[in-house]
Amino acid sequence: MKRIFALLLCLMMAFSTLAGCSGGDNSTPDTPTPPATTPDTPDTGTQEPAPEAPSTPALSGKMKVVATSESYIDLFDKFTEATGVEVELLSMSSGEVLSKLRAEGGVPSADLWFGGGIDAFMSAKDDGLLEQVQFDAMGQLTPGFIDPDGYWFSKGITIVGFLVNNSLVKELNLEVPQSWSDLLDGQYEGEIIMSNPAVSGTNYAVVNALLQKLGEEEGWAFFEGLDKNISYYSRRGSDPKNKVTSDEFAVGITYLDRTIDALLADYDVTIVYPTDGIPWVPEGVAVFKNAENADAAKYFVEWLFSDDGNLRQLAEIDQKDGIKIIKPSLEGVELGYDTSILMDEDLSRFGAEREAVLARFEELMGDKAVAE
Amino acid sequence: MERLSNNYWKGASKDAPFRSAGLLADKALLTVLLGSICVFVLWPMVCIALRSFRDSGGGFTLDQYRGVWHTYGRSLGNSLFVGALTAFFCTLLSVAVALVLTTSRGWARALLMGVLLITMVSPPFVSSLAYIQLYGRRGWITYRLLGLRWSPYNQWGVIWMQSVSFVPLNAMFLQGILSKLDTGSIRAARDLGASPACILRDVVLPLIRPGILVSLLLSFIRSMADFGTPTIIGGRFNTIASDIYLKLIGYSDLEMSAAMNMFLMAPSIAAFFLYRRLMRQCNAITAARQDRQAALDLPLSRCGGVGILAILVSGLFFLMMALQYACIFLTGFLKVSQGAYAFTLQYWEQLMKYNLTSLWRSVGYALTVSLAGTLFAMLFAYYMERRQVAGRSFFDCLVTLPYMLPGTCFGIGYILAFNAPPLRLTGTAVIVMANMLFKQLPTATKLCSAALTQIPVSQELAVRDLGGGHWSGLRDVILPGLRPAFLSCFVYNFSSSMTTAGAVIFLIDPGRQLAVFRLFDAVYQGEYAIASLIATCIIAIVLAVEALAYLITMKAGSRHVS
Repeated sequence: MKRIFALLLCLMMAFSTLAGCSGGDNSTPDTPTPPATTPDTPDTGTQEPAPEAPSTPALSGKMKVVATSESYIDLFDKFTEATGVEVELLSMSSGEVLSKLRAEGGVPSADLWFGGGIDAFMSAKDDGLLEQVQFDAMGQLTPGFIDPDGYWFSKGITIVGFLVNNSLVKELNLEVPQSWSDLLDGQYEGEIIMSNPAVSGTNYAVVNALLQKLGEEEGWAFFEGLDKNISYYSRRGSDPKNKVTSDEFAVGITYLDRTIDALLADYDVTIVYPTDGIPWVPEGVAVFKNAENADAAKYFVEWLFSDDGNLRQLAEIDQKDGIKIIKPSLEGVELGYDTSILMDEDLSRFGAEREAVLARFEELMGDKAVAE
Repeated sequence: MERLSNNYWKGASKDAPFRSAGLLADKALLTVLLGSICVFVLWPMVCIALRSFRDSGGGFTLDQYRGVWHTYGRSLGNSLFVGALTAFFCTLLSVAVALVLTTSRGWARALLMGVLLITMVSPPFVSSLAYIQLYGRRGWITYRLLGLRWSPYNQWGVIWMQSVSFVPLNAMFLQGILSKLDTGSIRAARDLGASPACILRDVVLPLIRPGILVSLLLSFIRSMADFGTPTIIGGRFNTIASDIYLKLIGYSDLEMSAAMNMFLMAPSIAAFFLYRRLMRQCNAITAARQDRQAALDLPLSRCGGVGILAILVSGLFFLMMALQYACIFLTGFLKVSQGAYAFTLQYWEQLMKYNLTSLWRSVGYALTVSLAGTLFAMLFAYYMERRQVAGRSFFDCLVTLPYMLPGTCFGIGYILAFNAPPLRLTGTAVIVMANMLFKQLPTATKLCSAALTQIPVSQELAVRDLGGGHWSGLRDVILPGLRPAFLSCFVYNFSSSMTTAGAVIFLIDPGRQLAVFRLFDAVYQGEYAIASLIATCIIAIVLAVEALAYLITMKAGSRHVS
């Protein structure tokens, strides 16, 4: 036993040598920048909101972005052109981002968070993981879609409906469901697929919005009824769409945008906008607290929302027009749907109730965890 | 087990002062090996363990553990159930495949070996996609061909998928044992008039029993830690590993998932110690006869029920694998439009427009990890097998820990451990490669240890007696003897590094994108064709590198002999 202890001691000493070693290795790979790159900003320590950035601040270095998809690269290329800041993009789901942030314990590995359900941004704000951003054009954005203190912003809106597989509907003799309440019908047993609301911000919006609409009691009764028809809750937000197009399930609860419209060309599917209301959720943008290049990230937020051209490009990449609701003065983007079809939602409840709602949902799903 | 004693080395240094420098280097090397294991395996594990006792305010609590049993007892039961059945089916398949491989000859053998080598490379996600495409509710085989209406999204789907995907490595391992069996007893049995069926049943299978048990245990542990399969095709069926994953990405609850990890490791550690005991026996059988390595001369078709079963089972396996990989490959070149399939190069052109740097970066990382990892594994195995190192079984177990954890958790452990001074590595390439290396070390070390036991200690002693120095034994006996192990170790490391996703997802830095994540992105967007093409590229690259490694090692080998 003593010998093992002595050996461990030895190792502790070796530890520090090794630390030096791997620090040296560090410089071999392509990027020559270890932690400290820009020692210029003193504002990390102070709490009061920074007064206002000058119109084109001198920015440098790289900006690291975690986004829901890599398709945004064109938008970021434009930012690089305007500022000279190089952008590196990594796609990650918002759940992964949150876990990573919490593990990092206040030293984030990225600067900007781009996209993902707003509930994740709200809980990151509550955990003190986000940085405040203030800029002039903020006043033109619809209140409720941005955090009053400027910790998060919305870059678009995801709306939710159904995707229905026509050939399966025909074969199984089903009717195309038109509303949320239709989904409770016994004919759909085992034929509906939805994502786990813990993983998918989109499906979390469905749960929270319907609970708001129907009220606690009726709302949970609805989900218990729906649960009987749901085959399983997938662990990825895009699964319902993918499973319906590959003929695996008849009805998928999924986000709707122009990429879904485009599916009509190749697949025999129907898109349904539920008649009893469409749940929706803003997609967030935020700067991480203590980010290495927080200046660039903050300026990006300002740059994006201040220039309509940038927002139009974003709408084009996203293939949706919800940004028009967030910035009504935006020209050149027209909403493809009437806002009256959207459900009334109190977004503040999205963040506040998340834990309780998910816990209850987990219970509901767990009750008959194993099919067959 | 024979081992060189420390005194032996000390004695050597006394009469030759210049050797004391060698002794020092020897000690330094050992310290570096064990030290880095402590830093890159023990320390992250300790961080995870500590995290499991943390409450929301940062204080100490046992709350997580109170909740675990109550909430996840059932999932643990599911894990044990899946693990046991997977171990059984996988081993059955592996034994059958290994038997067919060792007894077949000529082109058939080359073909089967080729298929097995391809299936060693298993890019994540696309295998599951192919599985759904073939055997799903609307699968090509299950629905369109057989007209079955069944759902693959349950425990049986998980068991089947895991069993099949664990076979290649197990079959290779068993094949290695079979081809080195002491042919003397088989010949003796034959001379005494035993039929091939009797020989198989009464001689061969009992001889490889420890190998079979090792395969059972390794599959069991691997199944316990696998979160990907149940997540993608488990449907409502949860295992403890898939629950941990969900806790992490759905609820961002690090503390709870850390506690669940501790919970998951208990049965795996028990299985590991059983494995160690068995492995010793396993080495004892194969170490017996070095000189006779004639392939097993046993016509399986004349081996009665067991032989026929082996042929049928492995036939089924090879057929399924061929279908699965054909499916992956074809998806990249087929366009579906309103239910009709047409050949297209459209996706290929789309892929070529992609930035391919991530692919080359993956190759670079994988090469570095395979070389460094293989060297590390060989040296580590050498010290563990041949030298008396204090705390040997402790380190042996330590090295195996990453094998028992779901990859994502090992990744989170790295962030917890290396995001603050004194050793801040997050955001560098080093952390990603270190994670790959140590995640793969358990298997790599096992491969090297198995090969080392084939080299008689007497040879090394002979070198010493002939006046060879400290390093000559290592250089002239151990390293050449480890050449085949070097190859299999390198191949394993390379293909794993190219396809790993779970462990490094949290460690990858924006700007250091790897090919698997492009693949993941494509799967996520529903661009299955693109995903299949990336997978095909990965498979092709891995095979090319493997072939190259094979040629180089063999060439170096022949030069050494001449």
